[in-house]
Amino acid sequence: MPSSAPVDADTIYDAVIVGSGVSGSLVANELSKQGFHVLVLEAGPGEDQTIRGYEKYLSRFYEATSKDNNSPYPANPNASMPRSPAVHSLAAGQPDSSSYLVQNGPFPLDSTYTRTLGGTTMHWEGKALRMLPEDFETRSRYGQGLDWPISYDELAPHYRRAERELGVSADVQDQAELGIPFEPGYVFPMQGLPASYLDQAVAAGIDGTGVRLDGEDYHLKVRAFPQARNGIPNAAYDGGKGYVPVGAVSTHQVEQGERCQGNNNCVPLCPVQAKYHAGKTLAKALAGTVGKVDLRTQAVASRVHVDHVTGRVSHLEYKAYADPGSPEHTTHTVRARLFVLAANAVETPRLMLASGLPSSSALMGRNLMDHAYLLTWGLMPGPVGTMRGTVCTSGISDLRGGAFRHGQAAFAADIHNDGWGWAGGTPEVQVLDLVDSMNAFGPDLRRGAVDRISRQLLLAWMVELMPDPSNRITVDGRYKDALGNLKPVLSYNIADYTLAGVAQARSLSRRLFQRLGVEDHTDYRPTDVGYVSYQGEGYVIRGGNHWSGTHVMGTTPANSVVDADQRSWDHENLFLVGSGSMPSIGTSNTTLTLAALCLKSAEQMVRQLRDETSAVELATTTGSAQA
Amino acid sequence: MTLSRITTKADLQDYLHAAMQLEHATIPPYLTALYSIHPGTNSDAFHVIRVVAVEEMLHLTLAANMLNAVGGEPDMTRAGFVPRYPAYLPDGEADFEVSLERFSPTAIGTFLKIERPAQAPSEEMRVLRRPKPRAAIPAVHPDGDDGLHFWSIGEFYAEIARGIQHLHDQGVDLFTGDPSRQVTPELYYSGGGEVIPVKDLASALAAVELISEQGEGLTGSIYDEEGELSHYFRFQQLTLGRYYQAGDVANSPTGPALEVDWDAVYPLLTNATITDFPAGSEVRAAAEAFNAGYAEFLSLVNQAFTGQPDLLIPAVGEMFALRDQVGRLVRNPAPGRPGVNAAPTFDMPETTR
Repeated sequence: MPSSAPVDADTIYDAVIVGSGVSGSLVANELSKQGFHVLVLEAGPGEDQTIRGYEKYLSRFYEATSKDNNSPYPANPNASMPRSPAVHSLAAGQPDSSSYLVQNGPFPLDSTYTRTLGGTTMHWEGKALRMLPEDFETRSRYGQGLDWPISYDELAPHYRRAERELGVSADVQDQAELGIPFEPGYVFPMQGLPASYLDQAVAAGIDGTGVRLDGEDYHLKVRAFPQARNGIPNAAYDGGKGYVPVGAVSTHQVEQGERCQGNNNCVPLCPVQAKYHAGKTLAKALAGTVGKVDLRTQAVASRVHVDHVTGRVSHLEYKAYADPGSPEHTTHTVRARLFVLAANAVETPRLMLASGLPSSSALMGRNLMDHAYLLTWGLMPGPVGTMRGTVCTSGISDLRGGAFRHGQAAFAADIHNDGWGWAGGTPEVQVLDLVDSMNAFGPDLRRGAVDRISRQLLLAWMVELMPDPSNRITVDGRYKDALGNLKPVLSYNIADYTLAGVAQARSLSRRLFQRLGVEDHTDYRPTDVGYVSYQGEGYVIRGGNHWSGTHVMGTTPANSVVDADQRSWDHENLFLVGSGSMPSIGTSNTTLTLAALCLKSAEQMVRQLRDETSAVELATTTGSAQA
Repeated sequence: MTLSRITTKADLQDYLHAAMQLEHATIPPYLTALYSIHPGTNSDAFHVIRVVAVEEMLHLTLAANMLNAVGGEPDMTRAGFVPRYPAYLPDGEADFEVSLERFSPTAIGTFLKIERPAQAPSEEMRVLRRPKPRAAIPAVHPDGDDGLHFWSIGEFYAEIARGIQHLHDQGVDLFTGDPSRQVTPELYYSGGGEVIPVKDLASALAAVELISEQGEGLTGSIYDEEGELSHYFRFQQLTLGRYYQAGDVANSPTGPALEVDWDAVYPLLTNATITDFPAGSEVRAAAEAFNAGYAEFLSLVNQAFTGQPDLLIPAVGEMFALRDQVGRLVRNPAPGRPGVNAAPTFDMPETTR
């Protein structure tokens, strides 16, 4: 059970992990399995370790007026998080510091993360895509972005472990067609999710559509995305041993969280825990008996202390609060042989920068990436059962790679089963419009609502963004949160390389809508947050919550913050883990890849903890003497 | 149903028909109690009842697999398959009846009887629970009926296991059913144990053991081999106000406290029948629609059990529809009965085929 009692200042943990999201939970579980004593610090509350607590999130979401990504989670000024309703258009040169994430511009980014037990996997959608092999070498192949210090082939075994841990449902043949190599005979833990009726209707209209990009021809095919969501277990998995899906997290036994029921609100919270969230891994870690995992919630890491003689991290400071409504807190120190920052690609560099540790590469917080999302929406000619199934089952992945990436961003498209919600056209909005503008009531209102909602089609075009050192997270002494911790300051812009992909996506969307007989209702207004002009046409670009790149991995201390094991070049007992380490994100949602990276890093951590025992204790003593 | 000891393959098939009927007979009472709970309240109780109801569905499926394996023909659409409540359980437990009623201490008392351990966990309880001495297990009912009556579901399944082993030892060719009729884990799973395709002696006995252990803890332990708490002790948590945790012994849970709000419940009409609701009323129409929907649902699942197992996938969607139909009943007052709400009646047409 989570506890907010202060840790014993005399304990020297094998590892302290900051953050209980997917990265922190995976590392905690791996280290615990090897017999180590681990402390996990979570800044947010931990009410979801029980079914009752999880259901509190659910009722808060049901009751919320704004159904944004963080609506299920309580407002908490002591460990605040970005929320969509707090993002405004920016005036040139004027930072918006009205909410937790200070937006320095020029582009206002509407992306979020969640600071609660389980982290952002509480609200994530659950897509679990592998990156393409070419995504690991965009610099050498296309002259764009950065190469990774490791190849797809080196990460592949860890991808397999991540797919087991997260419980991925997918069809291997479908993925192999995209140019992703799998080991012979590999199948995913669970079968691919069945296509929604909407997917099938879209596929019937557009499968086989030819697209010519930079002189090469591509053919589109609607296919299901790999998803970390419980589906039909694959009997052939693991050499015929099959796979047992992981259900709900609970302190007592419940039959919940089994097969996906298609409740259509995966984001911001799966009502039945069919979707993977890090709490499932954390529960295993806490129950483990080989090592030991302690968990402190409402404990905000506030400073990383380095021994300037050895360069090693000596201790970590955190602020513990009893009541999210009050800034009253106490400050504590925790010591360990190894420190792992897994707070996410905004909070991890924020903590490092707030600790005065910008990395000798000066790249801490830089190279911030996210995906640029362009939404296009319209009405299908007839009812297609919109609002059934997961938020998204299928989409178009055929333009994720290719030689055209020399000149423009790759892109992919999601077919949204939840209609126009993301574009602001939720069923509630539709009903209000029918009542207020159309004076509809009774049977007319019912028919009108069904007619409008069940024909909705929304395509979300995910466009890649390359690392750019000027897109960054910084801190600024003027901006502090309730506990006095420095708030993250975001500087962000979208390069023409990405905008060219955006324009291409818009033009392809027009063609596809024509083929489908879709009435195009796409509407971008200059007053919308995220409005940009490119070559004479306006677009509205939204964020994808895929924060990454801010403690980039590379081959030398000069070109990167961490090495291929996500270990800090500057501090040998410090690992910065998560999507912040990724030098590129292609057109892949980041979670599966960061999970694979964390599993890889955990192996290095284990080696290091085993090899270094005596030396580390010496260093820790030095550290405490200086503190 | 009259049962004698299993001496032939036909006897075994009769038992397995009874097993399907028995497993199903527990589901309407559990669902009625479950859906009588005000939405969003009584999370602990809701999940305890839900777990058991879902596992009874697993047991029903396992019984169908066994019946199919030994060449029987499941039939959930025959007249009388769904009992009229209040009802005695089809395994012959004659000392209590099962009602369709709201979540209440009385209902949980009945559920504890349904799931009571095969052998009472202590001598003291044995005495308390058995008002008069019975003959050796399985017992002959004292009223002179020559059929077999079982003290518990666990003992009923013990006879099935004994029968399977006996017939096998006699060299009877038991597993003659069409293997393609088996429901496999791809089509059905729940957290509390996987569905077992039955094809031989070992898998048949494994299926029996799973049912017995989940329900009643045949071994006398509160947890089964998979570390899962048995149904009896799950329900008992609601009366004791505390969860069991690993290491606990019977009757003394030491886990987290558990909260029950007996008042956050719709006041359902107990053992409602269709004629309790005035003809022409909206409630009557909703009750009839539910019954028709339930009959169609049983027919769909029966098709899944008789050669088209893939139909279990669309059946899941139908279960959601049934839940919504129950919602329409329990949230509305029963006409002419102040302070009492409508309830699903589970009246089936004579034959639903």
